[in-house]
Amino acid sequence: MFKKAWIKYVMLTLAVILGTLATTTTGAAAATKEPHYVITTDTTYPPFELQDKNGQYVGIDIDILKAIAKREHFTYKLVPISFNSGAQAVLSGQFDAIMAGMAITPARKLVYDFGTPYYKTGVIAAIAKNSKIKSLNDLRGKTVALKTGTGAAAYALSIQKQYGFKVTYFNDSNTMYNDVALGNTVATFEDEPVMKYAIQNGVKLKILTKPANSGYYGFGVKKGHNQELIAKFNAGFAAIKKDGTYDKIVAKYIGAKESTFAGSAAVNNSIWGLLKQNKNQFLAGIGQTLMLTILGIILATIFGVIIGILAIVPNKFSHGFASTIIYIFRGLPLLVLAFFIYIGIPSLTGHKFSALLAGLITLMLNEGAYIAAFVAGGLKSVDNGQMEAARSLGLSYWKAMRKVVMPQGIKLMVPSFVNQFIITLKDTSILSAIGIIELTQTGTVIISRNSQGFRVWFLVAMMYLIMITLLTFLAKWADKKFGNN
Amino acid sequence: MTAKVTVKDLHKAYGDNEVLKGINLEVQENEVVVMIGPSGSGKSTFLRTLNNLEAVTSGEILINGYNLVDKKTDINKVRENIGMVFQHFNLFPHLSVLENVILAPVELGKLSKEDAKTLGMQLLTQVGLADKADAKPTQLSGGQKQRVAIARALAMKPSIMLFDEPTSALDPEMVGDVLQVMRDLAEEGMTMIVVTHEMGFAKQVADRVVFFADGYIREQGTPEEVFNNPQDPRAQDFLNKVLNV
Repeated sequence: MFKKAWIKYVMLTLAVILGTLATTTTGAAAATKEPHYVITTDTTYPPFELQDKNGQYVGIDIDILKAIAKREHFTYKLVPISFNSGAQAVLSGQFDAIMAGMAITPARKLVYDFGTPYYKTGVIAAIAKNSKIKSLNDLRGKTVALKTGTGAAAYALSIQKQYGFKVTYFNDSNTMYNDVALGNTVATFEDEPVMKYAIQNGVKLKILTKPANSGYYGFGVKKGHNQELIAKFNAGFAAIKKDGTYDKIVAKYIGAKESTFAGSAAVNNSIWGLLKQNKNQFLAGIGQTLMLTILGIILATIFGVIIGILAIVPNKFSHGFASTIIYIFRGLPLLVLAFFIYIGIPSLTGHKFSALLAGLITLMLNEGAYIAAFVAGGLKSVDNGQMEAARSLGLSYWKAMRKVVMPQGIKLMVPSFVNQFIITLKDTSILSAIGIIELTQTGTVIISRNSQGFRVWFLVAMMYLIMITLLTFLAKWADKKFGNN
Repeated sequence: MTAKVTVKDLHKAYGDNEVLKGINLEVQENEVVVMIGPSGSGKSTFLRTLNNLEAVTSGEILINGYNLVDKKTDINKVRENIGMVFQHFNLFPHLSVLENVILAPVELGKLSKEDAKTLGMQLLTQVGLADKADAKPTQLSGGQKQRVAIARALAMKPSIMLFDEPTSALDPEMVGDVLQVMRDLAEEGMTMIVVTHEMGFAKQVADRVVFFADGYIREQGTPEEVFNNPQDPRAQDFLNKVLNV
């Protein structure tokens, strides 16, 4: 009886949470009379967007947006997500607009409408401080690092033939800078203000070339959509340019000392200091990771058990259906599945849903497929005589399954479940790619601000190990308590 | 009076391999029928068709008036009335002995849990294992397991009991206890169909002995007729081998 009440409680909680997740995007908009938008930005593109030491998003883009929204009376929800995913998600309708240091290019103009260009920029090449490279001609045969989907990357590709270099791609600026500083790649191409800010804040690179391919950053919406938002942006932008707000914002970030946003060197040079300073961000990241893991494994278990049973039911249709589901979702890389659900499905249906919901569905399908496979295996390994004996007593197939076969099969599956639990916890880190700020993404964001790669990744690694240890204990305890031992 | 079990021209094939080639049999109420024959003769397969654990290829099976070959028949209802005892016991290892016995009547709503426990203890007493009620099946010997399996089948108060080589997997010294339980059942008037290699049991308890070979019933009659004066050459050969060791 206690056991059943417990399951009911879990199911109820789950239903409430899923319901909330599904309605958050629309629910917030209805609460206010001012128009409400969902706007995406990059997670790491200082000085245009970065998280400060208090975990708040700041930067030229963020402040401009804030000033314009106030003047033009609209509200918005800011969703930081990797630039490339954000740019695609605007086109699929997940977001209304993108404000992420996006260069206005002819190719982009075909699919986006841009507001008034708000920042002049040019592309420069940067190399390690101690590099012997003198000019672009020295890059021949060497590999350069580019950030996926940026204007700087497009420029680099346009001169690739002329200078004969090879390219490799990164999703995150800081990782890319480190790669060059460490000598894995010899150079990177980056927008001038971004590179200058990074160098000023301790990135061990130097600028090699004069700005080329000068252009502008623009505020983008999907072509033909959200025209009233573009109009508001333009009106607001003209106003802040006129009254000096714009210049103040730019001055605040260009030439700002590292410590303004990143915290003092003393804090950044000790692991304990980093931990203390970023306590709230780490806790939020851990919370998100645990939430994804636990909800994910519950959903995956429900899904996996249903599919696993369908796979062993003596019925050709259900068997084929279950095998196909397992084949597809076990075969797809988690990252591809996450992108497909988050960016692909809304393009098809026109309904947007939160990254969190997309992440949970991804975990449910992928981890669920693995669970289904070992559930089917576990149930099949129960001696057929058990089913026959139960059926011969008059029990229906399902009753025999529930009362006789499953209790024995589940016992065999417990180690696989514990294993899958740990895998799920680790797999949540992949969901950082669709912009969920779980623990891994928290690490990326903190590093983009303070460039303390080694120390921060060490902390993140320890946190994962501690979580995995605790969850393994919990799983073993639950097995003893609720299992059939 | 109509027969409890009526089988007409029953065929069963696995692909091209026909293992039952036209079986006809009637079993009357209170009758004990013992089926003997060499391995692979089809007697176990035949027994399993009688509660639909094996689907048949063609033919007719009527049990207590229910047509088992008809897809519309509620097979679960029919099975409630047919107890089955397996060669390998098939006790449920995750349940205690008493829980094994009362699972079906409780789950199928035949008895309250309390009444089922009372009945379960009676049945365990009947098979001489009341003291093992709380033990797990793994703690029992083979003979004890088989007696629990019989008690489990009896808990549904069946009107027919099927035994599929109930003593074949037992150590020789365990066989006697199980056969004794079966003998008691027969004396109480249970309708029984038994596949066995225990010729002594067949001689003593059977009302009728049926000899299977190559998917056919080759010979049947009283134990005296079949054992003392078999007509079919296959039966003569088989009995000669098993009786004169």
